[in-house]
Amino acid sequence: MSGSKLQSAATGRNWIPWLVIGAILLVIIGRILYLGTISERFNAAFFTRAGIESLKLGSLYALIALGYTMVYGIIRLINFAHGEVFMVGAFLTYFLFSGSPYSWPVAALYGLCIAYGFMRVLEFWRGRLTDPLVLVGGAVALLVSTLMLATLTVNLVFALIFSMLLTGVVGITIDRVAYHPLRTAPRNSLLITAIAVSFLLQNAGLLVFTNRQTPFRPDTPINNAFSFTILGGEVRTSWLIVAIPLITTVLVVVLTLFVNRTRLGKAMRATAQDAEVAQMMGVSVNRVIATTFLLGSMLAAAGGAMWGLNFGSINQPAVMGILPGIKAFAAAVIGGIGSLPGAVIGAMVIGFSENFLTAIFPRTPDFRGITEFKDTFAFLLLIFVLLVRPSGIVGEDLSEKV
Amino acid sequence: MAADVGVKNKDARNTLLGFLGIAALVLVLLFVQSLATAEDPLRGVAKFNGALTLFAIWGIAAVSLNLINGTLGILSLGHHGFMLIGGYATGLLILSEDARNRILVSGRSTMTERTLGLSVHSWFESLGLDALTTDDTLWLRYLVAIVVGGLVAAFAGLIVGIPSLRLRGDYLAIVTFGFGEIIRLSASTRLFAPLTNGALGFPGVPQRFASDQLLWPFGLLALTVFVMAKLKYSSYGRAMEAIREDEIAAEAMGINLAYHKVLGFVIAAFFAGVAGGLWVSWLGGVRLDFFLFQLTFFFLVAISVGGTGSITGVLLGTALVVFIRQYGDPLEQSYAVSTWAQLVGVVFLIAAGAVIVYRSARRVRPRVHPVVYLLGTAALVAILLGLVAPSFDFWQETFRGFGMRAIFLSVLLIVIMIFRPSGIVGRSEFSWAWVFGERRDQPTEEERAQDAWLTNPELQRRLAGDEENLHSIDGDSKGES
Repeated sequence: MSGSKLQSAATGRNWIPWLVIGAILLVIIGRILYLGTISERFNAAFFTRAGIESLKLGSLYALIALGYTMVYGIIRLINFAHGEVFMVGAFLTYFLFSGSPYSWPVAALYGLCIAYGFMRVLEFWRGRLTDPLVLVGGAVALLVSTLMLATLTVNLVFALIFSMLLTGVVGITIDRVAYHPLRTAPRNSLLITAIAVSFLLQNAGLLVFTNRQTPFRPDTPINNAFSFTILGGEVRTSWLIVAIPLITTVLVVVLTLFVNRTRLGKAMRATAQDAEVAQMMGVSVNRVIATTFLLGSMLAAAGGAMWGLNFGSINQPAVMGILPGIKAFAAAVIGGIGSLPGAVIGAMVIGFSENFLTAIFPRTPDFRGITEFKDTFAFLLLIFVLLVRPSGIVGEDLSEKV
Repeated sequence: MAADVGVKNKDARNTLLGFLGIAALVLVLLFVQSLATAEDPLRGVAKFNGALTLFAIWGIAAVSLNLINGTLGILSLGHHGFMLIGGYATGLLILSEDARNRILVSGRSTMTERTLGLSVHSWFESLGLDALTTDDTLWLRYLVAIVVGGLVAAFAGLIVGIPSLRLRGDYLAIVTFGFGEIIRLSASTRLFAPLTNGALGFPGVPQRFASDQLLWPFGLLALTVFVMAKLKYSSYGRAMEAIREDEIAAEAMGINLAYHKVLGFVIAAFFAGVAGGLWVSWLGGVRLDFFLFQLTFFFLVAISVGGTGSITGVLLGTALVVFIRQYGDPLEQSYAVSTWAQLVGVVFLIAAGAVIVYRSARRVRPRVHPVVYLLGTAALVAILLGLVAPSFDFWQETFRGFGMRAIFLSVLLIVIMIFRPSGIVGRSEFSWAWVFGERRDQPTEEERAQDAWLTNPELQRRLAGDEENLHSIDGDSKGES
């Protein structure tokens, strides 16, 4: 019923979205030109900086939004706990990176989890957890990670990889313990469970990690200052401005290749289309769901680590995941939930609206600026998109669902 | 006729019992209140008093959230936003003159003279009702403030209810959550700071009604429960339940979806605003971090654990949540790691035992799931290590169980969602008939006899699936005609 309505709206008035986008772009360009005339401060460098900062923020949101969109595509669940998974990823990176060597039993425990995560990743390639190559890979991962954690201080790259694997295991565990028994339950029960898991992780984070804001400014090359000039203005920033979008792009490309080119990726797409039929065709739906949680959590962990690097600190566990998580969910819906490119596009929309809009409507003597309201933009956009075009920018039918 | 008299007698008995119960409750409350003023070195009575007040305040909010979540079947996550609006409105309207003057002279405040002038006191003064501006009649001003706070919150509920006309299910849940967060985030902005004093908030809300007088919060709770129960069994409530079961069918039966959904939101938001007014009065001030999403989560736990859609169940769940919040603090103190290990071991053992009992009761094979072995081994190892740790001098550093109560509540919610999604009491309500073991939902023998349709022997045979006799009757009738 609603589908036919949507289609007729889409075929009948295709030009309306373009008109809206054009109008918004015109307003933005006009505003930039106007600001340029009133003050020296608003030169090209100012807007370039705002643009690349927005890009950076957008790519961080994209990493979280991909997890939301994949999980929603497969089991139609708004994984409320994803923001907290992101928090766990950030804290694990921090502790793996800046902690002194661990004691042997703790290192072995971490090593076991890391090895399990690594085996789940190798499973994409060999197809079975009990495949000899996968087992050998797991054993090697166990040895290497335990040795590294017990004897040396891990560097940032390894900390990031370990944290991604560990967080992936956290994601799989959440799915297995909390969501798996509820596969056939009503959607509201599943959502309430997700909220409970999110609350559980917040407080477990408080218990295990810390209850304070944690400074995270490692002395690594990507934190070094980096500046360039554009149209006579100098933009001063750090190498993160290159690193974060680059890492995001690499991860998104790898994910897209995985989804489009591998057998398991095909199984994921089939499950997203229709889980029951996919199961009848011999797809192991539970494995596909576990894979989805693994991948989503790994991306969220990468996002969390870079979030910490970007802002120079990791917020308290109880609040860190909520806002970024829900904004990333908004991004996934805005882009069109269930679609990978949609999540990235939506995340960019959120990133730009949050950062670029506050930059082009700054505080001036006669205007207070809209910086205070920037946290509400994502919600307003979300509500607007849900009311006007629930299928999002890309739309469910137009793109491949995952 | 005899049955009719019996029903009437029972109705009279139930009414009488109801009044007696309320009277007993009032006496108990007065007794506890009188104890609190006496000497209380261990603060045990004060704590119990606090638990009762908290139960009443959160009960109002949870019962009102139950109207949306249980009766209307919409998962709403923005209740803390409604409470915030009601709380800020009530707090501002009832703020004491001292507190107003202090805010006015302090340099950091963002409130203006105009917004500070907003008070029930000054309204009454301008109306010339000087008798109502004395200290003795503060209760009336407080009542007016609470009602106004509820009305402002109800207006917010109207706005939040409108998206519910277009959206369904989990999208709507996210939108309500978004509204709640928007309300919370924008309360501290410069736009609303003259009303809310920004992130600072304001102290000085009279505490006398929430913490000292138990009858105030409990009276409002009784009012809420009364309204909700009346609503539930009215045509509006039935329509809302129809919407919960099947929207399309409800619409086909001529139920106005938009009207009933928005009505549910408005009423629930009104009572959430009332609860917010009591909440700020209990805390003695207004601040942004009194209204976190945590609150909605607690109400959600109360509703889901007690029984979604049942007022009795919600009150039961609220009692549980309040009990854990008020008396769960031993969980959050510092103990040696070995003690924690023993505790975790015991919890694991209980979980393993529960799994075995559950699977035996449900006759699921294997009775002893592999997970049980894992849990049992881990539990035994943890308990053993915890026991020997002091003698071998490891695990002696202390560890503070920060956030344990919330962890307990979330685990409880997950377990309930998995094993009993409808909550402890389900949708059934408390009734005196249930207490006396009467089943009033079943017709009596006489009522059954009066029902000609049901006493039709042919129909009864058909219902009983008595195929042979049915055929013979059919054959006979055919033969006759």
